[in-house]
Amino acid sequence: MATSREIVSSEYKFGFHDDVDYLEQTAAGLTRGTVEAISRFKGEPQWMLDFRLHAYEHYLSRPMPRWGGDLGQIDFDKIVYYRKPSEGEEKSWDDVPDKIKKTFERLGIPEAERKFLAGVGAQYDSEVVYHSVREELSKIGVVFMGTDQGLKEYPDLFRKYFATVVPPEDNKFAALNSAVWSGGSFVYVPKGVEVPLPLQAYFRINAENTGQFERTLIIVDEGAKVHYIEGCTAPIYTTDALHAAVVEVIALPGSKVRYTTIQNWSNDVYNLVTKRAHAHAHATVEWIDANTGSRLTMKYPSIYLRGEGATAEVISVAVAGRGQHQDTGAKAIHLAPNTRSRIISKSISKDGGRTTYRGQLKVVPGATGVVASVRCDALLLDEGSRSDTYPYIDIQEDDTTMTHEATVGKISQDQVFYLMSRGLTENEATNLVVQGFLEVFTKELPMEYAIEFNRLVKLEMEGSLG
Amino acid sequence: MTAAEGAEVAVASQPAARPTAQVRQAPTDLTLSFVDEATVRKVAAAAADPDWLLADRLAGLRGFEALPIESNRLYTPYVDLRNAHLSAVRPYPAGPTGGARGGAAAAAAGVGRLPEGAAAYAEFAEDRLTALVLSPEAREAGVVLETLASLAARDPGLLRSLLEGGCTLPENDKLGQMTRALWTHGLHLHVPDGVRLERPIVLRWAMGAPNGALLSRTIISIGDDAEASVVEEQVGSVSTAGASGPTNSAAIEPQSFFAGTTEVKLGAGSTLSFAGLQDFAANQVAFQHRSAVVGRGSTVRWALAQLGCRVIRSRIDNTLEGDGSSVEQAEIVFGSTDQLFDLTSYTRHIGRDTTGNLLSKGALSDRSRVYMKGLATIDLSAHGTDSYLGEFAMLLSKQARSVAIPSLEIDQPDCRRVAHASSVGPVDETQLFYLESRGLDPDEARKFIVLGYLEPVVARVPLAAAQDRLRDLLEAKWAARTGAAAHAAAGQPAAAVA
Repeated sequence: MATSREIVSSEYKFGFHDDVDYLEQTAAGLTRGTVEAISRFKGEPQWMLDFRLHAYEHYLSRPMPRWGGDLGQIDFDKIVYYRKPSEGEEKSWDDVPDKIKKTFERLGIPEAERKFLAGVGAQYDSEVVYHSVREELSKIGVVFMGTDQGLKEYPDLFRKYFATVVPPEDNKFAALNSAVWSGGSFVYVPKGVEVPLPLQAYFRINAENTGQFERTLIIVDEGAKVHYIEGCTAPIYTTDALHAAVVEVIALPGSKVRYTTIQNWSNDVYNLVTKRAHAHAHATVEWIDANTGSRLTMKYPSIYLRGEGATAEVISVAVAGRGQHQDTGAKAIHLAPNTRSRIISKSISKDGGRTTYRGQLKVVPGATGVVASVRCDALLLDEGSRSDTYPYIDIQEDDTTMTHEATVGKISQDQVFYLMSRGLTENEATNLVVQGFLEVFTKELPMEYAIEFNRLVKLEMEGSLG
Repeated sequence: MTAAEGAEVAVASQPAARPTAQVRQAPTDLTLSFVDEATVRKVAAAAADPDWLLADRLAGLRGFEALPIESNRLYTPYVDLRNAHLSAVRPYPAGPTGGARGGAAAAAAGVGRLPEGAAAYAEFAEDRLTALVLSPEAREAGVVLETLASLAARDPGLLRSLLEGGCTLPENDKLGQMTRALWTHGLHLHVPDGVRLERPIVLRWAMGAPNGALLSRTIISIGDDAEASVVEEQVGSVSTAGASGPTNSAAIEPQSFFAGTTEVKLGAGSTLSFAGLQDFAANQVAFQHRSAVVGRGSTVRWALAQLGCRVIRSRIDNTLEGDGSSVEQAEIVFGSTDQLFDLTSYTRHIGRDTTGNLLSKGALSDRSRVYMKGLATIDLSAHGTDSYLGEFAMLLSKQARSVAIPSLEIDQPDCRRVAHASSVGPVDETQLFYLESRGLDPDEARKFIVLGYLEPVVARVPLAAAQDRLRDLLEAKWAARTGAAAHAAAGQPAAAVA
């Protein structure tokens, strides 16, 4: 296994950054004053300021989690909690400041938009700077905008659902996000509307010590259907950045939501994200979630199956290389009868990386006729890497049908040998086996993303040897 | 963010107006009131402990005081001692000989009758040693079965080496450290090198006296190339049919407390088959600690049945130290009323080519609950590991609950197999239909399926008489479960109405 042992992470591909003049930013560190300043900058209503301050108090009172990954290296006093890169929201690409535009061009956003995207909301640090929604989408009433703008333009809808899925008291980092949130996407799909193409947002951290606390709120009305995609790239820095996002999805009766994430933060980012969806009667929610970047990710996309006949699916992929810990998983909480869930998790550890699957499956009394399955597979590519599996299965209803399976192994040498006998190098063969292992995930992605993801995995796998 | 959050334990509500309503007890509150230095010193003085043993007890007490009830953060949401009301229990006194830790005289004399087919037999009723007898063959082969008191008198150096080396209780376990501090009774079983005992050794503990507390240790050492089997029975001292009966008033009924260990060390090329049948009475609270340190090429087989107790918390530690060592562990639970079975097992693979095959199965009726917490750890040194962990449950009533946490921590990729599996479901309707079509009535058919589900563990009990007894106990428990009548009624064919 010389190949996988010698694999070296290549120089981070998108590790460039621009020197942007920040128009407004808070001083490093977090105080009550910081929270008030953020709200003032944004000209928010009083209720939001109150909400932020309440969350801030809760954040202070809550101890740091002692489980999961090592959070001891984060210096919360060095983080800049809010930074505003340009004035207001941009409707047209031409109005986007040149420096920022250059960064996006290097990431290929406009092309992607021209090709197939329904809309682009690109987050540059803490404020949405570029945003466009295809005309026909706005005509049929689909809202896709920055969360700050959503608060201004749809105050009632916003307030009705905001923080109903992830309250500030949920956990310490949800409280932090609630106190200082900025940016993120606000999506509303009206009754019966099917959004034909994926809504897409690129997120990006682009300054040293900048925390990114985006907040995404997706409301899908009865019988509607939408696919939301986020992909992340970030530049390399020597000091640690923190990303503590909250994503709330409300899938109203009969709707269908798919949320796809490709997380590729650079290896100094702490990615502590709370993602949760409420699935009402006969709704379907799918989290398609890949984590290849960051130093530490703690993220467990959850689905609360609240209405009869709701369906949940989570496909989760994690790749951990040198110095990385992917503490990821999924939660399905069955609160209603005849609900179904399926969780599939695939993880790869190499070069001393560590992957942890941490999941929960719960069926409460009264949720009869539940069918649930969990499958976790892990590949350990070399000595010194580590894989953990911690599933929690809590069943309180007697006619539940639940199965759980997990395996951990190394790459099959038979498969590698076979492929090499067909003329592939050991590297190529190993890479192909890994891609096959992850196929259950990649096949769920739109083609462009599947290509990009395979390229990412190949980079991770082969490094400079590729 | 929080995988463990939202995993709060369902609260068994107590009618607020009841005059006997107790002070609200948190799930992690341990209500034992006698665990302190004065008691430790009293126990040591009564047993005339040497200085090293007193020091060992005090170290245990420090561990007890410093540790939380659950030191593994993975499992902290799944602790529930609210049905353990132990403030009134008092430990049985220890003494140098005779009644208390002892029975040295009895041991020497060989009292009691050997059960059919057994190689040796020891029995405690509460704190009294009521039988201790070896077959002539076992005695000739050099097998030793004695109380820890007689060992202390016979060979204090050996006692010290057994307690201080190898067979120690887990250092991160509060309750294990409590037993280390306060044990007053115990047994020592030794099977010398090369001895292969065909007949099992039977150990029996009868407990249940209200407000009594017995803390004991059982030390088992198996030499090289030896083979032995042990059947340990834990029963109510007052005859009770499988922990059944009304328990609504049990909260104010005086409880009995048992803390016991099984500390096994296996040499090279040896096998120990250990069957544990726990069928304590409904007023019993028990903490069990079992551990095995397994040498090169050796195998330990656990076949454990958990039927009794109001609250039972057990922990098993398997340490696969030697190359080619293995553990086969099968544990079954049959729960009824509001019983809680809190079962943890740790298996650590250290040697090369070790095998861990662990299976837990629960059938739960009424409001009973099981927590199955298993963790397999594969060290970097453990090349060629084969590890399987299975946790399965069958829920027989609406109020029953099953929690399974089959966990893995893996540092070595070069493994033969690493897998775990879990499933929860009701009684299979197609199996039920088949059996009913063969003329069985619905309740009988359900019984067949449930007892058949548990049978693989029953079949592993090494003594035929004990196997039969376990089958009888399971049948009795099936019949006695509170929901039995309702199920039988609900299962009546619709034709009766039509």
